[in-house]
Amino acid sequence: MVATATRTTLPPRPGTTALQRGGLLVGLVVFVTALLVEVPGLDAPGQRMLAIFLLAIVLWVTEAIPLVATAVGVILLEVLLISDQALVALPGEPLPAADYFAALANPVIVLFLGGFLIADGASKFGLDRNLAAILLRPFAGNARRTVFGLMAITAALSMFVSNTATTATMFAVILPILAVLPPGRARTGLVLAVPIAANVGGIGTPVGSPPNAIALGALQSQGQGVSFLGWMLLAVPLMVVVLGFAWWLLTRRYIPADTPMVLELAADFDRSPAAVIFYVVAGSTVLLWLTEPLHGIASTTVGFLPVVALLATQVMTGDDLKVLQWPVLWLVAGGIALGIGIGATGLDAWLIGLVAWERLPLLLLILVLALVGLGLSTVISNSATANLLVPLAMTLATGLPIDTTAIGVLIALACSLAMALPISTPPNAIAFATGDVDTREMAITGLAIGAVGVLLLVFVLPEVWASLGLLS
Amino acid sequence: MRLTVLVLEDEPAVREALERDLADLADVIRLEAAEDVPDARTVIAELDRDGDLLALVLADHRLPGTSGVDFLVELLADPATAVTRKVLVTGQADQQDTIRAVNEAGLDHYVAKPWQVDELRTVVRDQLTDYVVARGLDPLPHLRVLDTARVLPLLRKLGDR
Repeated sequence: MVATATRTTLPPRPGTTALQRGGLLVGLVVFVTALLVEVPGLDAPGQRMLAIFLLAIVLWVTEAIPLVATAVGVILLEVLLISDQALVALPGEPLPAADYFAALANPVIVLFLGGFLIADGASKFGLDRNLAAILLRPFAGNARRTVFGLMAITAALSMFVSNTATTATMFAVILPILAVLPPGRARTGLVLAVPIAANVGGIGTPVGSPPNAIALGALQSQGQGVSFLGWMLLAVPLMVVVLGFAWWLLTRRYIPADTPMVLELAADFDRSPAAVIFYVVAGSTVLLWLTEPLHGIASTTVGFLPVVALLATQVMTGDDLKVLQWPVLWLVAGGIALGIGIGATGLDAWLIGLVAWERLPLLLLILVLALVGLGLSTVISNSATANLLVPLAMTLATGLPIDTTAIGVLIALACSLAMALPISTPPNAIAFATGDVDTREMAITGLAIGAVGVLLLVFVLPEVWASLGLLS
Repeated sequence: MRLTVLVLEDEPAVREALERDLADLADVIRLEAAEDVPDARTVIAELDRDGDLLALVLADHRLPGTSGVDFLVELLADPATAVTRKVLVTGQADQQDTIRAVNEAGLDHYVAKPWQVDELRTVVRDQLTDYVVARGLDPLPHLRVLDTARVLPLLRKLGDR
């Protein structure tokens, strides 16, 4: 009796859609075909990897199985097909299976682990909300200025906390305004401001959003590591400009300056010993991340410090570890494993040989890649898009007169600029679910911001990077 | 997979008043009405068939045939509806009935007739939120009828994707 009652309190399992059933079928057909049909110019390892890559494309695009299931599936198939433990042995010296499993504990995953623990701690001790309350005060008085403050703080928070969690936190902050604001355009603008700022803020640091981790992981595996501060120097200029444009667009389109928008938030900092230890650990971690050039300790190592310190002091416990976003970490790991497999099997060389890339104008190639990233991540997961596109783009860029780092970072940023639909990102989904914004308005603002972002990304940002001497 | 609120009330005028007061929610949730317990069971069978969830029952106590409290006891005994939120909206339940509803039907709330519209809506919002939290449902499709402040912490767990 008790057992039955417990069972029924589980969430009902969602049914499969026609798209998902189709995805599974197409995925299987593509996978088997790629394995069996002779591909000109591609030897056995590359062919097997091509099958895995094609399967991953179909499964991530259709979400026939959960995103994280595809990610771990990629790792398993790599072990079974292209590692030294392959079921049908490969000639030569394939990578050991351990190298593919190692994607689950890639340094970038460890960096994210630290970021997640700090973010969850900030929520546990109310630090995120209290900081927002204090930082918003100077922006009071005028609706447009308030929205500016709101967006700036949301973006700043989102650089260190997941975009989704930031959106949840900041919606809690604006609920009192929404409670008294009459239905209408100002509400739409305010409700759009939070997810847009959270999406854009995510590009600012390596731990801001999963596509960044995917690019960083791919770059590290090619020996092109980017430091925490190095990433910020590359990405923050774009973040600031796009954020400024988004604020201008939202306030001019939706929010008259005389909209009543009073936000009186009381900051009530937790002063318990555990909270104080957390503040010190989190503050030190961020400080060490930002000062890497001074001390030389890698950001991964710094990211692991709070994990150890917070667990040792019991400020965070095993329970906090259990509720971390493991599916996100493993989704990133799947992308990293995919990149490793493409490189190890020679599939990269075959892909380069497909088209005479060097005959295409470089700018056109970059523009196409960025637009594919933007378009795909508008309708599917940003991380899955980055998982597929980053290794591909970095492969194509070899032999072209462009820095590999530039192309990796560029694609990751393009994946984060997609925010035109409710399904584009979880922050968008949250805003849409409030009922205060319809798909049309979200599409108009999202497309405008995405377009401006990609144009800057392709035509301006590489020039800025070069002139600042950020890339070799 | 819509959330459903079932109004169980035998007097047509009262039933319609309840439905009218909850009409605002009807574009997000499924609103069903039944005049007696057999009718309510038919509704539950229809929900099962459509894959919708019985989230909340607003039941009168005094009904022709089986009483509202007996129906709620029945719901608690059935694993499929044990987690359904159970509210009495009545003026005629005596102390014995009420005690039985609390102890044996797991009554979640008691609304005395005549109800205040705002109070009723708040009760429905709270109970639907409790249901979504208890079942671990994705709150997003139902957010507009839920208590946003209570649901936001759940949304953190969605994670980036």
